[in-house]
This record gives sequence, structure tokens and C-alpha cells, in this order.
Amino acid sequence: MRRASVENMRKALMRSNTRLLLSAVMLFQFSAMLLIAFQERPYDAQALILAAAIPAATWLVTMLFGKIWPVDRAIVILAMLLCSVGVITLSDIARAKSTPMTQAIYAAVGVGAMAFGIAFIRGLKSWKRLVAPAMVLCLLALLSPWVLGKWQYGARNWIVLVQDRLTIQPSEFMKPALILILAAGFSGRPRFLKCVPTIAFAALCCGVLLSQRDLGALLLYFLTTVLMYFAATSNWVVTIGGLGLGGAAAVIAYRAFPYVQTRVAIWKNPWIDPLESGHQIVQALIAIGSGGLFGMGLGLGRPRNIPLYHSDFIFAAIAEEFGLVFSICLLAIYVLVILRGMVVAMNARTSFHSLAAFGIVAMLGLQTMLIVGGNTKLIPLTGVTLPLVSAGGSSLVSTFLSFGILLGISSLNAEDEAKDIERMELREEVFS
Amino acid sequence: MRELRGKIRLVGTLIVCLFIGLGAWYGMTVYSQGSVWASNPYNQRSSGSTAHMGDISDRDGNLLAHTAADGTREYMPNENVRRALSQTVGDQMGMSGTGVENYYSSTLLNISGSLVDRLRSAFSGAERVGGSIQLTIDAELTSYIASAFPDGKKGAVCVINYRTGEVLSWVSMPNYDPVDLLDGRADDNVEDTAYLNRCLQGLYTPGSTFKIVTLAAALEADPNALNQRFTCSGSWDYEGGKIVCAGGAVHGELDLRTALAESCNVTFGKLAYQLGAERLRATAERFGLNENLKFGDFMIYNSAFPVSARNVGGLVWAGVGQGEVLVTPMHMAMIAGSVANGGMMMKPVLVKRIENSLGIATHTGAPSLYRQVTSASVADVITQSMYQAVRSGTASKAAIPGYTVCGKTGSAETSDDKSVATNAWFAGFVADPEHPYAVAVVVERGGAGGTVAAPIAQKALKKAIEVIG
Repeated sequence: MRRASVENMRKALMRSNTRLLLSAVMLFQFSAMLLIAFQERPYDAQALILAAAIPAATWLVTMLFGKIWPVDRAIVILAMLLCSVGVITLSDIARAKSTPMTQAIYAAVGVGAMAFGIAFIRGLKSWKRLVAPAMVLCLLALLSPWVLGKWQYGARNWIVLVQDRLTIQPSEFMKPALILILAAGFSGRPRFLKCVPTIAFAALCCGVLLSQRDLGALLLYFLTTVLMYFAATSNWVVTIGGLGLGGAAAVIAYRAFPYVQTRVAIWKNPWIDPLESGHQIVQALIAIGSGGLFGMGLGLGRPRNIPLYHSDFIFAAIAEEFGLVFSICLLAIYVLVILRGMVVAMNARTSFHSLAAFGIVAMLGLQTMLIVGGNTKLIPLTGVTLPLVSAGGSSLVSTFLSFGILLGISSLNAEDEAKDIERMELREEVFS
Repeated sequence: MRELRGKIRLVGTLIVCLFIGLGAWYGMTVYSQGSVWASNPYNQRSSGSTAHMGDISDRDGNLLAHTAADGTREYMPNENVRRALSQTVGDQMGMSGTGVENYYSSTLLNISGSLVDRLRSAFSGAERVGGSIQLTIDAELTSYIASAFPDGKKGAVCVINYRTGEVLSWVSMPNYDPVDLLDGRADDNVEDTAYLNRCLQGLYTPGSTFKIVTLAAALEADPNALNQRFTCSGSWDYEGGKIVCAGGAVHGELDLRTALAESCNVTFGKLAYQLGAERLRATAERFGLNENLKFGDFMIYNSAFPVSARNVGGLVWAGVGQGEVLVTPMHMAMIAGSVANGGMMMKPVLVKRIENSLGIATHTGAPSLYRQVTSASVADVITQSMYQAVRSGTASKAAIPGYTVCGKTGSAETSDDKSVATNAWFAGFVADPEHPYAVAVVVERGGAGGTVAAPIAQKALKKAIEVIG
């Protein structure tokens, strides 16, 4: 009797928490897509379909995942919100009609990947013996662009599966794998020597990325490794040493590679050469400035003047269309996801799960800061995507997969908590 | 596990703090720099049809630029008028970056418009209409001055109202036709420096016009300096060099008033030497040299006075406005104006009024004091000396019968030998509260200020009195 009431209360609390959020998000998605649909005369059929499909998908995914596993619904809703901001922005600004549709299809694949992530982490009972083969596979995947890829935008980090149709960025897909491998290697409060193979693996990954000139991914891999090592071992000396080593490597890279020097020079003063080298960032800043406080309005701006407006510079495009206020709210949404994710990490029962959740959240935060900082000229630009928002299948699906792992861990936490409550109640019944 | 949680909390807090920092930095820069970014010449949004660009008119309400019904931007029908105002008004390509079309594009396009405006246009479906700007410029005066400027010469003329700070005319030669731009890059139809507004961006050696500042420094340092007698024997040997008076003139014994009126280099060289670099620089900086002249309506390139005179020669030559001293014509007009205005330098005003699309004024240019650059009594003495220069000295060609015109000429050397003709300068004003007009004229390689620049200034001031009152 009493147990049932406690359970009901818990459920009711969760529901009221997420229901308001869910309705608000669905309302936003619906109204934004509706606005876009009626900007064309008489109406844009594809946008109209998306106006119905996106909120429906958000509702369905939240409810379905919540029914099957006791996952943290707030994270699901926020992930769907971020993803829909991407589709909405692309519907609004993309030159080709197919871009937002492709993005929506990738999002559907991503939701599948998210489900896979949840099931995978829940089913993963013994991970120690999987680490070594996973490392080998991971390195092979990272090396694959040298065989199957080509140079693009000054980096060689793509593999072509179907010519001109399907390309994949292995460095994106290896992000969740890297985090799981690191979490396994660092779990159980190991001594430094026991960590060496894992660190060596991470260093090898970074080396491969450097050879492919994928500076953004390199920076992310490096910082995530350092942060995870620090959280796992609380070893200040090695952590600071590692950061120092990274800093030294950055200085050497700056000296040795002209393209790094160019990036930094552009960052220092893009206005010197606003038509050639500084073109991207100048156009991004102009777009942000033109947007002002409340933006030019959906469909009224001209963010297509920015090169790569749909991927690397989507934040600047959003700032132009929706304005400063909205883009700061977007940052706040990332902060909410991070806070929620950190709670998942802190509630996890094993250090492996805890570290995995932490790694995912830390990487999400770092990646967002790198690209937003780059868009707003706070730091030199590195070509990473704005998680879940930028166009691009690899990044979207891989980020959803990471979110799946995070959600799986949250569901394990919820089950453990439920068991705890049960146990406590049993004890109370016995003692009373 | 407890330690792990602690570290996760630590790193989590750090990441959240970094986000807050990022958000704050982003907000602050957009707030402070956003409109500067948006008004960049490479912003092609202003050439698009996203909004109906507002009108630009002169002080009498004559349209200088407006958007036709089909969305094209139209300027004045008369080519000469169009050209005379080209750098002031600007163009659609943003070739003259300081032009109003460009510098004020966010106002003209209503980019920074209020939320209410936007909601209204969003719901009514109407095209967003930008604000319109009325300038303090007088189109008739400006085109007249441009026509009076010597053919084929480069240079600048600025006319301001020294009591209100209003800019009445900017003429920068050569100029260009805003409707005849071939493309966004330099084209053959236009001289490469035509896009420059020399009034604001032309840094010139001021030559003898700078003696106004040197005289102010001397009077501030010693109110009795007026009684001091100097002797000019045509040249003076200082430690390490020699300064001579222009045209081999020998002025004999004279006081400071006459020295200014006759533009005696020897006297002013000695004066600078007596004052020392520190005091001369302090006065120059009070007059606005070495300062970011960034005003609400526009900005002027920084005029320069050497921070430390490397040797006696540098100091002596700085006293007569040679060497490393650089001043823009607009700044010189402001200096002359501040002398006329009892030492009060007014903040320059270019925009008289901004109206939103409903005709409601959102901004009105009001006179405000920029700085008391020198005392009223010092300004009065300088005014008398400049009056003497027009009445009986080097600036006599600036005289207008019936009006008290005061002025100072300059013939600034731009090369070490005499191979290049001097830049002809004139800075002056009408000393009359009814007609408070100050002028600065530069004719590049024009020759002597008294014969080339002074007549242009005379015509400009006379026309200003005629058309404005």
C-alpha cells in the first residue's frame, strides 16, 4: 500500500517535470516550422510535413523511450529540441530543399542509434576483455581515410562509402568508442602505470588525427582524455603535466605548420583580409552583428553569405536569424543538458559508468565551446560541429549515440535507486 | 567513488562557468561591436531587398539619397552635386567606408530597429522601412565649394558651425560618382584615392596653421608673453640646425601678434624652444592631438604630435607645425572653431535628425561641449592675432568686406628638399555670433596658403553666410 503510493508520487513528479518541458518544446517546433512553411506562397509542403513530424517525433521518442527504459526524459527532450533547432534553421536558410530533409532523415537514424546506445550500455556486463580489440578497431577506423578518403577543406578525415552520396567521418563515430575505452581503462582508481596503455592509445588517436589535420577533433580527444584521467585518478601532477605537454605540442605545431599559423593570424585580425583568408569569420561576425538582439527574423536574414553557414558557422547563422537572446538561450540549453548529464555521472554506481557519462558530457561541453568560441572570434576557429545542430550525418548520429549511452546509464541509475527504495521500505517494514 | 564524484562536480562546475563566461563575452561583444560589424562595407545585406533603405537629406531637407519604388537607390540628379557629396553620402557598394550610406546602414535599414517595429512588419507583411537621416550638411554650399576648388588639385575643405559643432560642408577632392561604380573593386573610372574622405582621413602636415596651438601654449605658460619682443633676422641657428622664414623674409623686431599675422617661423621656433617639448605637447593634446577623435556621428583619424621631441630640431620645427606633426582638415577646422568660440571645442555633429519610418524623431543632434581647450582670454588674443593676419598679414585674401574674418595660412613642406610644392593650408573663421562659421582648407601641392587656400576659404565662408544666414 505504502510502497505503491511512493512509486506513484515518484512517477507523478517525473511526469509533471517533463510534461511542461515537452509541451513547450513541441509548441516551439510546430510554430517555427509553420512560420517557415507559409513563407512561400501558397505553402511549402515539405516544411508543413516537418511541422507535424518533428513535434510528433519528439513526443513519440520521449514517451516510447520513457516507457521502455526508465531514462531521464529531460535529456531526451532537450536532445530532440537541439536537433529540431538544427532542422528548423536548415529549413530556413539552406539553399537546397534536400538539406533539411536529409538532416531529418539522419536524425531518425540518430534516434535509432540512441536506442542502440541505451540497449548497448545496459547489456554491457563485462567490458574489461573488450577493451583491447576495441582499441585496435578504433585505430583502424581512424586510419581508414588514408585508404578510402580524400582531402576536403584542408583535412583528410572522410571516407567515401558511396561516391557523392554517402560519406562518413570516422573521427566522429570514434568519439563514443574513445570515451568508453577511456572509461574502462581509467575505472577503479588505477595507478598511473596501469593507465599507460590507455593513455598511449589516446595519444596514438591524436597522432592519427594530426596527420589528417583534423585539428578540432584532435583538440577534443586530447582535452576529453585529460579531463577523464583527472576525474578518475584525482592526480593533479599528471593532469597538469599532460596539459603542459599539450600546450608545448600546440606551440610546436604553431611553429611547424603554416596552416596553424594562418588560422591564428586570421583569428587575431580577420579584418586585414576580409575577402580572402578572413572571409569566413568576417562574414560570420557581420551576420551576428546584423542579427542584433532579436535577429533579422526567420527567413529575413541572409546568412548564406557566410561560407559553411550550415555546418561550422551554423551558430552565426542562428544568431543572425534569431538574434543574440535566442542564441544565448541555445547556450543555456547546452548548459542544462550538461548539468543533467553531470547528475547522471554522479549518480552512477560503478566508476566505469560514471566516467563514461562524465566523458560524454565533458566532450559535449568542450565541443560546443570550441565552435561557439570560434564563431564569435573568442578563440581561433577549429572545424567541429555544433552538437546536434550542425548539418552532417556522422556528427548527428554519433552525438545521438553518445546521448544514448548517457541515457542508458541514467536508466541504470534509476533502476538502482528504485531497488534502494524498495530495500529501505522492506527494512522499515521489518523494523516497525 | 566519492572522490570521483567530487572531481566530476569540480569539472562540471568549471565547464558551466566557462559557458557563462562564453555567453557573457559573446553578449558583451555583440552589444559593443555588433553595429560596427553590421556596418562593415563587406556587409552585402544593405544592398539587398530585405528592407527599404531610408532617405538621406541635407539640412534644408533636399534629398541626397532615396530608394525608388523598384528598390534601386537614387542620388541627386545633378552629377556635380552628386560628386561633391560623394564621400559624405557614400554609395551602395560601400566604397567610401565613412559615408553615411555605410556608416549608418543599420539605421537606414532599421537593422537595429525596435522589437515593436519588427513585430508590426512581421504581422502586416509589409516591407521593413528603414529610418531616414537628415544631415547638417548644406548641399548647395558643398557643391559650390567643390566647383570653386582648383581644377585637378587634390585636397579638402571643411566648414563647420563652431557654436553648435554642426558640419556644414565636407569637400574632398578628387571625388567620384556614386551611380557610376563598375564593381566592388578599384575601377579605372575613378582615381584610387577618390573614395577617401580627406576631411576625416587625410593626415597632413599642418605647417604654419599649427602656430595657433603654439601661440596658445605660450600664452598659457606666460600671460605676459604678449609684451615680449622677438627679433627675426630671417633665420635662426639652433643647436644642430637652422630655421628660416618663408620666402627669405626678414621680419625684424616684432611681438607675438605680429609674428602670427606675418607667420614668422623664427619667432615661433624660438617660442617652441622656450616652452619645451612637454608644455607644447600638453597644449597640443588638449586641442585633441594624439587622441581618438571618435564621436557619436563619425570618427576622425588621429592627429599626431610627437610624444617626445628627439632633438632640439624636432621641437623647433614642431612649433611651426612641421616635422612629425599631423592633423586632419576636420580637426583643424575644429581647432580654429574652438578659438572663435572662446576656447570651447564643440563636439562635431553630422546628423541633425533621425526619423523612423513613421516620421517620429528618434534622435536629434544637439550641441554639446567636447572640451574647453584653452581659456577665453587666450582664445581672445589668438582671435585678435588671426584678425590682424587677415587685415594686414599673410591671410589678407580671406577678407570679406563687412565681416570680421580671422585666419591663419600655412604652406607645409612635405619633402626635405624644395622639389615638391608645399601643401597650401588655411584655417579661419568669421568672428560673429550671427555667422559662426569656421573653415579649414588644404590644397595638396597647391603652393602658398595665402594665395591658394585663403581665396577658397573666403569663397566658402561668404557662401555659407549667404545660404545659411
